[in-house]
Amino acid sequence: MLSQLLRSEWMKIKRKGLWFLTVLGPLGVVGLTMVNYGVRKDYLLSLSDDDWAIYLDNILSLTPLALVLGIVILTSMMASIENQTNAWKQWLALPVSRSSVYLSKYVIATTLLFVSSIILGIGTTLYGLTLGLGDDIPWLRIMQVSFYPWLASQALIAFHLWVAVANNNQGITVSIGVVGVILTFMAFFLPDWFLWKWPTLANDWNNPFINIVLGISAGLLLFIAGMWHFCRKDVS
Amino acid sequence: MSIIVQTEQLTKTFQKQQAVDHVDMVIREGEIYGFLGPNGAGKTTTIRMLLGLMKPTSGTVRIFGKELQKHKLDILRQVGSLVENPSYYPHLTAYENLNVVREIVGVPHKRISEVLETVRLTEAAHRKVKGFSLGMKQRLGIAAALLHQPKLLVLDEPTNGLDPSGIIEIRELIKSLPQQYGMTVLISSHLLSEIDQIATAVGVVSRGKLIYQDQMSNLRKLARSTIRIQCSEPGKAVAALKQLELAAAHEQEQLILENCSNRSVADAVSLLVHQGHDIYRVEENKQSLEQIFLSMTDGVSL
Ligand SMILES: Nc1ncnc2c1ncn2[C@@H]1O[C@H](COP(=O)(O)OP(=O)(O)OP(=O)(O)O)[C@@H](O)[C@H]1O
Ligand SMILES: [Mg+2]
Repeated sequence: MLSQLLRSEWMKIKRKGLWFLTVLGPLGVVGLTMVNYGVRKDYLLSLSDDDWAIYLDNILSLTPLALVLGIVILTSMMASIENQTNAWKQWLALPVSRSSVYLSKYVIATTLLFVSSIILGIGTTLYGLTLGLGDDIPWLRIMQVSFYPWLASQALIAFHLWVAVANNNQGITVSIGVVGVILTFMAFFLPDWFLWKWPTLANDWNNPFINIVLGISAGLLLFIAGMWHFCRKDVS
Repeated sequence: MSIIVQTEQLTKTFQKQQAVDHVDMVIREGEIYGFLGPNGAGKTTTIRMLLGLMKPTSGTVRIFGKELQKHKLDILRQVGSLVENPSYYPHLTAYENLNVVREIVGVPHKRISEVLETVRLTEAAHRKVKGFSLGMKQRLGIAAALLHQPKLLVLDEPTNGLDPSGIIEIRELIKSLPQQYGMTVLISSHLLSEIDQIATAVGVVSRGKLIYQDQMSNLRKLARSTIRIQCSEPGKAVAALKQLELAAAHEQEQLILENCSNRSVADAVSLLVHQGHDIYRVEENKQSLEQIFLSMTDGVSL
């Protein structure tokens, strides 16, 4: 049933610009880094011997914001596809379990963001190579910078999906989304347990793995809570 | 005939308002069940509970003899529905909208063209639904409900927004479904005339309560028709009709005959003509069916 649902969901997001956003996000991150290096390359190269590390830190400083923005926009657009003509009542009167419907929405959102991460990895590598940052390409670190923020963001995907699906009123969804983006902006000042800090991979122990474990386990809890709510909700 | 839908003491309470109040509904196989009630009576709320969209506050729903709570997916596989305003994805074409549903119900692609043909949307198949008129969207909704040839079709005010010729077309379509595909149909409306023309059974709901439920033919029997004859000298005519042992009344220059067979009307007219009365008009008055409903629903007109 999930595979049928996913095929339907992919069809539904046609022409809504979701794929465009998926590509735009990582290109934006690489593009801003290009501007940064275009303006002050000499300075940035003089900061340290490890030019790749400085470069990847620059990428990583932009990724969380792009990611959270992406999560907020994708989840609210996916919910609005159903909300605008109250298509939930048609969709949920079909022979599908509500939990699968909810799971299919989550899978779509997280898959799109995974594709963004792949594009980010490719873009980061390609631009890095043109900068001449040294022959010793830190493949592992590139993979971490590309995919760790996505892994650490699972809780945010689950949270914003829940908000978007629970509110027929897109105003509320967008307001909460804006708060999320602002929190990400201020992530540096937030305590480690704050969801919106996790995609920055920063914590007091200097171990990004903690953020991933937190992101995935809290993501699972938030997903189950959101699904539980969705399964019991009256659809008008 | 087996029972397709049966609710027991079905109740839904919003805050303090009882939108659906202990409803015992019975729909038998092959029926077109007209679900009639004024605005806000609880029709849509009942239908939402039948489709598992809302949980009853209390009471149970059985469809195809199975309890909805426990066998929801099994039941919904054989149910097609259109609830309230049509739902659709405006950025997709009519064809794509149906294809999204087709994936779930698992029927071949050719069913899409078939149902589009049925609701006469073939020409608009590849246009975005955003630009459709309300009537076209409504037809698309009906097409989606028919896609998997359900055993039970639930249509909530399906002729909303249709023009008169569209209404007739959809009515004929719905009427043909039981014989052609063995479907059972639940159709709701706030218009008595619509239910009168389409339904074989009727349930009347008012303020959440099911206040009447029976075969349409039995209801029509309740609604005694009157024949009004407009003629010259109605006073004399009343006296003349006493010979036929017909109780005629005289009201505003008209003769009124209640509850008569074709034979008695024919006899009455021929007698009057023989006696030299001029007959201007003979008309049947069906207002009484409405009046029965008016009294049932405490004066809220249908
Ligand atoms: N989601 C809801 N929350 C609160 N009250 C509701 C909700 N849905 C319906 N109601 C109330 O329940 C009552 C019945 O509504 P319902 O939509 O079932 O009526 P209806 O018979 O379908 O009317 P109409 O002919 O206008 O479609 C109304 O008074 C309505 O205000
Ligand atoms: Mg209604």
